Amino acid sequence: MKEEKRKVYYLFSPFLRIFHWIMVLAIVVLFITGLLITKPVTVLGIEPTYTSMSMDWVRNIHFIAAFTFCAAFILRIYGFIVNKGDRLFPRVWEGHFYSETIDVAMHYMLLKPSHAPFLRNPLARMSYAGLYVMVLVEILTGFAMYYMTEPSNIGGVLFGWVNVVLGGEMVTHWVHHIVAWLIILFAIGHVYMVLRADLMEAEGEASSMFSGVKFLEHVPKDANEVEPAKDAK
Amino acid sequence: MDKRESMWDLYLKKGMSRRSFVKGCVALTSLMGLGMDQVSRVVEAAEKKPLPVVVWIHGHECTGCDESFIRSGAPLASDLVLSQIALEYDHLLSAASGEPFEAHLEETIQKYKGQYILCVEGAACTKDNGVYCMSGGHTFTHTLRHAAENAAAVIAYGTCAVSGGIQAAKPNPTGSSGIAHFAGKTPVVHVPGCPPIPEVMTGVVMHVALFGTVPPLDGEGRPKQFYGNRIHDTCYRRPFFDAGMFAESYDDAGSKAGWCLYKLGCRGPETYNSCGNLRWFQGMSYPIQSGAPCIGCSNAHFWDEGAMSERLPKFAPPIGDVDKIGAGLAAVTAVGVAAHAAASVVQKKKRIADEKKNEGAGE
Repeated sequence: MKEEKRKVYYLFSPFLRIFHWIMVLAIVVLFITGLLITKPVTVLGIEPTYTSMSMDWVRNIHFIAAFTFCAAFILRIYGFIVNKGDRLFPRVWEGHFYSETIDVAMHYMLLKPSHAPFLRNPLARMSYAGLYVMVLVEILTGFAMYYMTEPSNIGGVLFGWVNVVLGGEMVTHWVHHIVAWLIILFAIGHVYMVLRADLMEAEGEASSMFSGVKFLEHVPKDANEVEPAKDAK
Repeated sequence: MDKRESMWDLYLKKGMSRRSFVKGCVALTSLMGLGMDQVSRVVEAAEKKPLPVVVWIHGHECTGCDESFIRSGAPLASDLVLSQIALEYDHLLSAASGEPFEAHLEETIQKYKGQYILCVEGAACTKDNGVYCMSGGHTFTHTLRHAAENAAAVIAYGTCAVSGGIQAAKPNPTGSSGIAHFAGKTPVVHVPGCPPIPEVMTGVVMHVALFGTVPPLDGEGRPKQFYGNRIHDTCYRRPFFDAGMFAESYDDAGSKAGWCLYKLGCRGPETYNSCGNLRWFQGMSYPIQSGAPCIGCSNAHFWDEGAMSERLPKFAPPIGDVDKIGAGLAAVTAVGVAAHAAASVVQKKKRIADEKKNEGAGE
């Protein structure tokens, strides 16, 4: 192999990284317990009196995971404030965003052999924005169901309108369930795209969510959005 | 009926004691879902307030709400109609009919302008100028608008009057809807249910009658004291839900043992009503107690929210169940991802080969 000169770019603050892994864990737990709540299983065909399939527990785990996830957003927001590299919102207000997106999309459709180097490519950023929208829908619909045990309470007042806007609490359940599946579809695509990028470009895409840094050979197009690079040791 | 009598006047007329009057007021207080600190207010109102004039009209419906109403046990519907309200006009319960009867409606509206309570049952039919629901030579929407404009308050009884009910189920051929937007500026109380619980019906009209104001309402215009709880949260079968003990079919051992009906599509978790608290017919029973899952009859669009025996609405066949679609899409995505990965590897090999060739040519 020939010697490659690479530069180290510090991207993700520890706050974002911790948030990310809390989110991963929470989504896995929320998804599994959510499916169990929708369709409670009968364990091994045994009379439920003698099994430990307690809806109460399943629901409590679901709620704890949900509250942990929401609380973790404090880390995400703090990281966003203190670290430029955490600011991942697609820069749709900048003209070059669109041509760059097309460039990356062409590569992903296997129509171009490679795409321009990015620290965080515009298509990925759009998918994260989409994920946050889905997460927001889950939070709103989730709390709308959770807090309506007492509609006059502050929680019911803050989230009760969701049921009205969606046209009924049944629809809220349905939306919550469908969007949960969409998030899982996103996760499959996300894990694949990250691993693919790691294999194709070997720029530390996967490890960046542990170390916070990426190694790039070429100067990325979005280098101006983060701190200046250091030479790799 | 120029000097209008109060409830106390009627008690005196009938020779009933002060004691029984106060007892009646205490009963009324609890039936209206109020705390016992409100008894004195109720007594005061019952002493002084003339009996409220009530006009009761019927639109697109089955009159099942009346069937429910006349089964009210406390207060007895007969007591309410004969001695606690002055029911001047009622399509169903009035003995009179024909032109004099219709003239009496107009007379009542003019005489008690801004004072009477308008009770409405049934949906407003709006398509083709409302010709699919006529009575007394007028469309229902015409009568409704006229009566509601001059009323002190409008009470919408039943899911039909609140949100259209069965008439408004897809495809809603008559353009039926709730009556609220025909009421103009008059306050509307929503009392949904198919039918509403009898004691809820009498309780709401008594509240408006005695206090002259509508009861505290939630975001959907329903009285909080009767619609403030989800059936699921007040259900006596809730412990079976929490313990994961579910009836799997209508005739299995779990069903006989009275376990939770969640898996049979019970709408308790989405439905706000007093079934769990008050139950029906003086606390005798309610649907879930009789072994039938709640169908969510006090929800606006319960006819259209999927099969009533299904937990979640399904998509049209052959797609069907949401989880099946989800799992299917996940599998398709995984296969797509694998194919894309394979193609990407091929592409990368080709790119490296090309680069090498170019480098070779360059040197």
